[in-house]
Amino acid sequence: MAITDSAADDTLDELLRNKARIIELPDDNNEDEVTGVPFPGNHLRKNGIHHLPQWLQQTTIGLFHDDYNTVSSEALDKTAAECLPHLTGQDNQGIPLNRHGLPHLQRKQHASFLHTPLKGLPAPYAAMDASRPWLFYWCTAGLSFLREDVSMYRERLMETVRPLQNKIGGFGGGHGQLSHCACTYATLLALATVGGLDVIDREAMWHWLGTVKQADGGFRMAIGAEEDIRGAYCAMTAITLLNLPLELPPDSPTREAGLTHFTDRLGEWISTCQSYEGGISSAPNHEVHGAYAFCALACLCILGPPHITIPKYLDVDRLIRCLTTLQTNPEGGFAGRTNKLVDACYSHWVGGCWALLEAAVVGPHEAKQNGSVSSAESRLWNREALVRYLLTCCQQPGPKGGMRDKPSARPDGYHTCYSLSGLSAAQNQYTYNTTASTTDRETGRLLSAFNWKGERASEGDMKGLSVERNDVVELVHPVFVIRFEAVEEARRKFARGGFPVVEGTD
Amino acid sequence: MGKYSEDPLWADIEPLPTDEGGPNPLAAIAYSEEYEETMSYMRAVMAANEYSDRVLELTEDLIDMNPAHYTVWLYRAKTLFHLDKDLREELEWLNETALEHQKNYQIWHHRNLIVDRLDDCEGETEFVEQMFVKDAKNYHVWSYRQWLVKRFGLWETEELEFTERMLREDVRNNSAWNHRWYIVNGREAEGVKGEWDEGLRKRELDFAKNAVGKTPQNQSPWNYLRAIVRTAGVPLASLKEFAEQYASLDRPDSVRSSFALDLLADIFAEEEGGKDKAGKALDLLAAKYDPIRKNYWAYRKSQLGLESSTPEAVVAA
Repeated sequence: MAITDSAADDTLDELLRNKARIIELPDDNNEDEVTGVPFPGNHLRKNGIHHLPQWLQQTTIGLFHDDYNTVSSEALDKTAAECLPHLTGQDNQGIPLNRHGLPHLQRKQHASFLHTPLKGLPAPYAAMDASRPWLFYWCTAGLSFLREDVSMYRERLMETVRPLQNKIGGFGGGHGQLSHCACTYATLLALATVGGLDVIDREAMWHWLGTVKQADGGFRMAIGAEEDIRGAYCAMTAITLLNLPLELPPDSPTREAGLTHFTDRLGEWISTCQSYEGGISSAPNHEVHGAYAFCALACLCILGPPHITIPKYLDVDRLIRCLTTLQTNPEGGFAGRTNKLVDACYSHWVGGCWALLEAAVVGPHEAKQNGSVSSAESRLWNREALVRYLLTCCQQPGPKGGMRDKPSARPDGYHTCYSLSGLSAAQNQYTYNTTASTTDRETGRLLSAFNWKGERASEGDMKGLSVERNDVVELVHPVFVIRFEAVEEARRKFARGGFPVVEGTD
Repeated sequence: MGKYSEDPLWADIEPLPTDEGGPNPLAAIAYSEEYEETMSYMRAVMAANEYSDRVLELTEDLIDMNPAHYTVWLYRAKTLFHLDKDLREELEWLNETALEHQKNYQIWHHRNLIVDRLDDCEGETEFVEQMFVKDAKNYHVWSYRQWLVKRFGLWETEELEFTERMLREDVRNNSAWNHRWYIVNGREAEGVKGEWDEGLRKRELDFAKNAVGKTPQNQSPWNYLRAIVRTAGVPLASLKEFAEQYASLDRPDSVRSSFALDLLADIFAEEEGGKDKAGKALDLLAAKYDPIRKNYWAYRKSQLGLESSTPEAVVAA
């Protein structure tokens, strides 16, 4: 959730979320011999379901239930209880099943859900007035992940964001609002998705980014705002997609501290965000959080090839261990922090880390050995479990569609977009081409982030994941989180770098 | 007509209405008249770089309607400093607002700016603790607490007791574990070397071991234990006896914690000739105690140069 600031998890939740709607378990969970305490899932034994994967079988679910209850364990148990009927196929919410017995991806409904906010929003959405660019991104990108045509939004989006762009560069959340890294990132990706990048003043953007770069190597989210790892990822995304010069602008205050480039001290700063648990925090010493792991890894994958920059700046073994444990048992989705609850948005924030980490671990060595590094067997994580969680628990049934954090939550654009990109991460294969060049000789542009290849789920992959072709989401770029075509367009469009000469300035 | 347009106090200001960019804006918000008007005046005063009492009222109005409005918060802070306002009063107002909008980020950044300027943190730790009653894992509040500790040098005061209090309440609260780690180690960044002498090491090990005793399948204290031995430069094997209380290859049917088994696998791997034992521990995790991560356990085996085994073989053995 972190990257969206307070937008998605706070404001929307507080304002728009219903009281929790917990799905009751059937009243037969009194068989508590296994652990001695009532535990969700005990009822499943009676039904003799054997086709379930091992982590959903009663023998596994009943393990390790500590008797010592606290607020955390009660919340974890309650979440398992609301998810299990869906995970085990007892309650499919009326969603049609595919031939493997999992609910189909409700493509049409989710597409319609994502089109709706773009038409206009009622007054209570004033609470999102500072994060409206996120809606542009979640909706247009989410639609494109479903292979919906979004080109009809091009002109309107370009018009809409014009007052959000400030003369000093960058985009704010709305007209008259300060430029902000998150708003800039979201606007940029939405524009790339619909093909509207021409509206961006690249030179002003370059100057503005020079004002948020910090002497310690990181980036502030806005002038006078907090410095955290989202800023680093958002800023480097803009610099690379738009092919802005890596040199700091002459007016950048950071030059006084001896820095000359946006990349100066950046990898080192990211290193300081790896915590004692092995995961990544928003800034040094804060708690490990899944969303920040993605920001750190994606930023390192902009700086260079994954197998070089990731191990250079992070302890990979400890990071993998930490992220692995965030895949929750029995739900199969990801939590954002140790001992916290599963939430569909981390399907992207943590689920999206694996392609980057697998490429870091594999490197050029095995690629050579096997010809290709992609294999139907996932190497580090459980793709099948994530797909099951998203399809069974996170789809809002009914004609309005949309995807949600967990069954008791309401769907929203944020969770729909990141559920879809998480699905794509689980279903498709992403590999890094270790032989491609990493820097453009002419312009100095960092090219590593453009060296990714996506491969659609094969028949074998689909069978292993219990999905049909129709349930598979489009390829999503593992670093920029938009369609590959949109990334390619930005790469091509700004290949020449530099800034246009404005008439009369000579 | 609205609150501001009818007020003679604001007669000199020409409001700047929202520019929607075109006739068909995307995801346009149907602002209430009140919000639209207040924002129009806000844009106008910002454009004129006005810092005044009436601007403070305007920002208060807007924050009330949209507490996530980072631009308004930052402008409010600037205005307060410009007018040299009584920052104690500001804190009182913030206290009410914070309790209403628990998860809001901007409010904590603002508080940070105010308290930094005040150069006095009286009452702050108490207020923060009050915030934890409703949500003991609020990321922004914990980050703010860390800042307080660092800014005002609260390392030696009651922070350690505070983490103990929080963990007595919920021993699975990972945010509280993180804070404890920070209190013990956070000064390294300032050049004060974490003093991992034997006494401190024993205190922290005992604390985490005690938590494991209550909740063997609680990841937080296991992470903490691993971090202590790594940071203190003690061999991982020093935790072997402890881990074996919760998982042992001799009693593969009565493992009480998957984290203990995971730790044992690492300990075995470091022992001479221990690779096979490590492999057995990893197999047990994949086959029985943590099958959702079976790919990860297989990866760990491959790191040791061991072949992966089929779950059937493990169960049969």
